[in-house]
Amino acid sequence: MLKFIVRRIFWTIPVLLVVIFLTFTMMRQIGGNPFRQSERAVTEATQRNLEAKFHVNDPWYLQYAHYVKGVATFDLGPSLVVRGRDVNDIVATHFPTSIQLGLFAFLFAIVLGVPLGMIAALRHNTWVDYSAMFFSNVFHAVPSFLIATLLIYFVALKAGWFPTSGWTSWEHKVLPSIALGFGPMALFARLVRGTMLETLQQDYVRTAKAKGLRYRRVVGLHVLRNSLIPVVTAAGPLLGFIITGSFVIELIFNIPGIGQQFVDSVFNRDYSVVMGLTVLLSVIVIVANLVVDILYGILDPRTRDVRA
Amino acid sequence: MSVTDAREEALATEPGSAPASGAPIRQTNLWKDAWRRYVRNRAATLAGVVFVVVLLYCLVAPILSPYDPNKINFTIASQTPTLDHPFGTDKFGRDLFTRTALGGRVSILIGFGATLAILLIGVVYGSISGFVGGRLDNGLMRFLDALYGLPYLPFAIITLQIIGRTDMWTMMIALSIASWFTTARIVRGQVLSLKENDYVRAAKAVGARWYRILGRHLLPNTLGVLIIAIFLELPGVILGEAFLSFIGLGISPPDASWGAMAQEGRTVFRSHPTAIIVPSVAIATLVLCANFVADGLRDALDPRTRET
Amino acid sequence: MALLEVNDLRTHFFTREGTVRAVDGVSFSVEKGKTLGIVGESGCGKSVTALSIMGLIPKPPAKIVSGSVLYEGRDLTTLSERQLEDLRGREIAMIFQDPMTSLNPTLTIGTQITETIRRHYDVSQKQADKKAIELLEKVRIPRASERLGDYPHRFSGGMRQRVMIAIALSCDPKLLIADEPTTALDVTVQASVLDLLEDLRAEYDMSMIIITHDMGVVAEAADDIIVMYAGQVVEQASTLDLFDNPEHPYTEALLGALPQLEGANVREGRLTAIPGRPPDLIDPPKACRFGPRCPHAGSDDCTVHEPQLRELRPGHWVRSSHPASERTGTRRPEGAPV
Repeated sequence: MLKFIVRRIFWTIPVLLVVIFLTFTMMRQIGGNPFRQSERAVTEATQRNLEAKFHVNDPWYLQYAHYVKGVATFDLGPSLVVRGRDVNDIVATHFPTSIQLGLFAFLFAIVLGVPLGMIAALRHNTWVDYSAMFFSNVFHAVPSFLIATLLIYFVALKAGWFPTSGWTSWEHKVLPSIALGFGPMALFARLVRGTMLETLQQDYVRTAKAKGLRYRRVVGLHVLRNSLIPVVTAAGPLLGFIITGSFVIELIFNIPGIGQQFVDSVFNRDYSVVMGLTVLLSVIVIVANLVVDILYGILDPRTRDVRA
Repeated sequence: MSVTDAREEALATEPGSAPASGAPIRQTNLWKDAWRRYVRNRAATLAGVVFVVVLLYCLVAPILSPYDPNKINFTIASQTPTLDHPFGTDKFGRDLFTRTALGGRVSILIGFGATLAILLIGVVYGSISGFVGGRLDNGLMRFLDALYGLPYLPFAIITLQIIGRTDMWTMMIALSIASWFTTARIVRGQVLSLKENDYVRAAKAVGARWYRILGRHLLPNTLGVLIIAIFLELPGVILGEAFLSFIGLGISPPDASWGAMAQEGRTVFRSHPTAIIVPSVAIATLVLCANFVADGLRDALDPRTRET
Repeated sequence: MALLEVNDLRTHFFTREGTVRAVDGVSFSVEKGKTLGIVGESGCGKSVTALSIMGLIPKPPAKIVSGSVLYEGRDLTTLSERQLEDLRGREIAMIFQDPMTSLNPTLTIGTQITETIRRHYDVSQKQADKKAIELLEKVRIPRASERLGDYPHRFSGGMRQRVMIAIALSCDPKLLIADEPTTALDVTVQASVLDLLEDLRAEYDMSMIIITHDMGVVAEAADDIIVMYAGQVVEQASTLDLFDNPEHPYTEALLGALPQLEGANVREGRLTAIPGRPPDLIDPPKACRFGPRCPHAGSDDCTVHEPQLRELRPGHWVRSSHPASERTGTRRPEGAPV
């Protein structure tokens, strides 16, 4: 088991390096000399010092190596546009907000989606099943900005229950999380229902019943264990969706997260921030996938014996 | 077991039933059969009809409409739906019915274009990887794993920045580059499983060249999967474009897509929600239909995955 | 009193295409310490019969519409689900055909054995584990204590079936129902599993029902046999009597279809094939269900009335208008045992 985990962690390193390399290459296509902005008019000497410090004139592979070293030591470089700010600062101030948003949305999706899917499966082919699935389909297809807009319009503006923007008190956090989480919730519900229906047909469920096990245990252990496996695998890409979806939600609800920062930096051509944030997001996605893989290994013992 | 009369057996077998996995499928039988199965699925048929209706609307409405979609007329700005303007007008007084159709043209075109590009890249990558197999396959797949680590929206945004401009074509390119991974995986999986089939071995045994095997045996059987992949990728691409436009990184006016229209509507949202609701609902409708069609196709082309 | 008594059991499946009368009037009994074999081709209703006894038929489409299943005098068809749950595994146990899919791949076999024990007895995990090891040794799995924590995919097919047997025996049931226990196994493994079943049956003094389509298996394992066709019992006798003097044309054909390689009465010529297919159980014929395929059916009673089960000899029942011992000079199927 441990070997399995170690092996998986080991393999993420080259993946990370490749990702950083890709981002790095892409960024180089856009930017030229990062210090050419006229806002940063500096003296010749200072310019040369800066260039030396930031390895601007080194060949690309050295620059890449420096950057990787930076990533490894959690130094993502300075902002190109905002004087005196590091990418790290930006991350430190805004990242926790985005993480909170993402987490709450994820929790909402799971806490509502999984039971919904289970109920739909256990009450298969009844009106409960049909309506649950109909709504899931709809919510999955509707873009999150529409959901956000509708929520704001009806719940915040008309009913006045929740504020429409900001991220300070807990009331602020409800609507955005729901808006972001609706799509994933629908996905979970559909997925759980599908896998449970399939699992319920399996022979080993019949065996479990034949042993006289209580229905609660049959469903709670035998069925659920096997049903959750595909759900866990879906959770990985879902995280990616939540991250990208958060951009829009942060925009609508005026939430100071990294989504906003990213978009602002793109408009401001602050490429080191863009790159730093992209690398950060990539790391998150990769780590999330790693966690998912490990969970998968725990839940399905068959995969442990297969070569990674 | 008793031996049954051959004639009786032939009569008793369900006409056109899917043969054992992987065996060569007689084309005519499969499609006719799949069509019949598809039509039996009411939801999918309805979705297909709505899909076509939307396409027609986008195609025909601007031609027949008496309004100039770009004409600004503040006297009739921000109206709710009336007989004159079935969808109302936006904040510039432009008829939304016509603009939505035009926006649809853009969104759908980008959608299909990007999807085809995804298919192209995915098929090439996947079939090479699957067909050649061995270390090349391993390497290509690991590289793909790394690519999965790149978050979708940032990746697309960066691509757009690299290209510099944002018009329909660059949007297609950006979106497709960011999302071909899954299709490549699927194609590779198909090619791998088909490659081991006996009829491929037979073809090899009589000395068929690799391109013949690929083109004549492997790809036609992948066709079903590809069709389904189209309708699975389409929603993602349409939503992606919508998100990008909504953030402001999309296509420049006046050629607006649905996402851009939604973004415009956002500013007047509190007083006049129609402007943002109309394009959002349009997006949702198309995406919903594509989802149902994809489900229907999947059930029709592979009856074994039927939900009980 | 017989341990199990099934009386006129009818289990129907209510589907969109119609009502499938999978089990349509089946009666038999199982005595204490005896083994009953149920044979018939696929689709004749033997598995559904077994599942009906245990109450394991899928309740939405299926339903026991009439009849009774008396276990030690209690009618199981009237029991609630909770009461049945108490019975299953403890009094009546069942093993299934495919050991690959019948075990949960995500739980260790140890868990799958001990959860049964702890469900029916109030024991600690340690005690249950100990019992589990004993059971594994009993079913002849080597290095039992080490293998308790293994997952099913690490076992071969034959060993998985033994694990299933161990699970079934874990609570000392009085009746074991084995649904095609050897069908999915290699021939050599079949023999060892059958031997194991017989030894354990004797040791635990259980009654057993073996369901199979393989005449060779019942010849070896069963004391009494019932032959099923199209949802009904068509012949019922002791094993010896059935094989020596088959009465129903279907039974004769089944036996005639067995290849024989050696022996005093080696038949030469072709194996008998039974032309035609079993009737559709959605709308079974009102007349004899085997009629269309029977070489002895004439344009008489067979095509009009459904023959009833009657006791031809003591202990030998037949549902046919033309049992072997009543035929005179009629055509015999080619190659049938003389």
